[in-house]
Amino acid sequence: MQEKNANQVRSRNEIFAERTSTKIYLEQASDDNPYIASAAVCHGYGVNEVMAKKSFADVFYLLFRGELPTPDEVQILQQLMIALINPGPRHPATRAAMNAGIGKTDPAHILPIGAALLGGEHQGGGIVDEAMRFLRKQQTTDAATSAAAHLESSTPIPGFGAYYGGIDILANKHAAQLAQLPGAGKALQWGMQMSRALEAQGVGWLMPGVAAAVLSDLGFQPRAGVCLYQLMGAPGVVAHGLEVANKPITAMPFVADEQYFIER
Amino acid sequence: MPEKTFSDQQIIDSLNARRGKIISKTGGWFPGKGVFSHGYSMMDDLVGKKSYFQIVILNATGKMASAEFAHWVEVGYSCLSWPDPRIWCNQIGALAGGVRTSAIAATAMGVLATDSRTYGVYPLKEGVQFIQAALVNHQQGLSAEQIVASVPSRGGKPLIVGYIRPIAKGDERIRAMASIAEGYGFPMGPHLALAMAIERVLQEKYDEGMNVNGYVSAVMADHGFSPDEVYQIFTTLVASGVTACYLDTYHQPLDSFLPLRCDDIEYQGTAKRAVPTAE
Repeated sequence: MQEKNANQVRSRNEIFAERTSTKIYLEQASDDNPYIASAAVCHGYGVNEVMAKKSFADVFYLLFRGELPTPDEVQILQQLMIALINPGPRHPATRAAMNAGIGKTDPAHILPIGAALLGGEHQGGGIVDEAMRFLRKQQTTDAATSAAAHLESSTPIPGFGAYYGGIDILANKHAAQLAQLPGAGKALQWGMQMSRALEAQGVGWLMPGVAAAVLSDLGFQPRAGVCLYQLMGAPGVVAHGLEVANKPITAMPFVADEQYFIER
Repeated sequence: MPEKTFSDQQIIDSLNARRGKIISKTGGWFPGKGVFSHGYSMMDDLVGKKSYFQIVILNATGKMASAEFAHWVEVGYSCLSWPDPRIWCNQIGALAGGVRTSAIAATAMGVLATDSRTYGVYPLKEGVQFIQAALVNHQQGLSAEQIVASVPSRGGKPLIVGYIRPIAKGDERIRAMASIAEGYGFPMGPHLALAMAIERVLQEKYDEGMNVNGYVSAVMADHGFSPDEVYQIFTTLVASGVTACYLDTYHQPLDSFLPLRCDDIEYQGTAKRAVPTAE
């Protein structure tokens, strides 16, 4: 099938960078060993100095955004981080972590297992980027009009929807609480109007939508939103996985054969 | 703020009906009775009677492939099991060996990396989508040349998933897989015939050819598999090569895989500054 020797393998000799580069972190070499750093700088700030003077949420924001947040920004980010800190024991990501724990999986694997499922497109980070793009685009449109158009056409509304057949009250409460803060921005406020317009249909904020709105208002990129959702939910996922790690496998349900049905 | 959920009672009822039950359309294990998969009794019909790759295809698609076709798929896995840690997924394995993770963690994370828009397994979906759509267009009258002309281009060359291999020109894996297909007498299907016609256009105009994705996508399409089914069949395509790269570094001294000095990373960020005092 190969004519003209097109399939004779030849390197393209592409030019690759000689060094990896980063704008995030500088590790300053020690005097006598170029592999050992004696100081680290994050976006210009000495890590030892920010350790002493700034909160975890401040440095978390700095790491991804390149600048320290204002007090209003860090307040809303920290409250979002707490809102997302535990997807709860019924979320599939948590259940996967608990399966790993009860199954005596190496504890080092509990986090990646849970985080992978927390990246799903349903109730996970996998929809946060789309929701962030949606919220950015929609801010010039009337929320009630947009809600009516989506309901009329039955098109999905990224970040909003029905949860087990109805409104996710916790997500809506979190959004409302965050919207009261001085750091709340246009996306979150627009989303509040959207959720009110959808309410009677049993549709409202979903947790990834709340995260998308706040992260969008804080200036994070949509792609980062996917990962940040996984990061922010990881503590709860791991906590539940570890909680069952010392228990016997009988400590969690195992579906009886009589309740197992094969439909073909 | 709503305290009422305005829920759909039918959804609540349907969820209640499934609590504590597993309803599978695939199979399951019933101790003392057997293990069932897609209508087969695994221990009676499959284990020892069908190859591992026939079972892989069955689990990925619900379809029982011939032993010959399953072997051809296995050869595809072999072709992607290279122990070269410069390949991105394999380098994850090599780095994992350097920090002494478990072999399973290293291999699983390398496999995860191939869910990539640019290489690995995910592009097979787009490869099959392309050749299926191209065949429809071809059957409606478009020539291979017109199909190539209709796709977007980058760097003056047409951008088609499955053609124009990154890093190197040409693809020795096609020959290896094609020789197995020829040995088994697989007939030339319309997707592969069109893929080869497209390759001829690329060869003549751009000195470029098909890559293994394009070949596999065309053959899989000729065998009636959908883009999703192809992706599902090849989910762990690179696993063995990642394991090999993991073990290579696992057995070498700590920190010795591509060691980086501090100044091997070029810092392009903000210059050193003091943390501002609270206002």
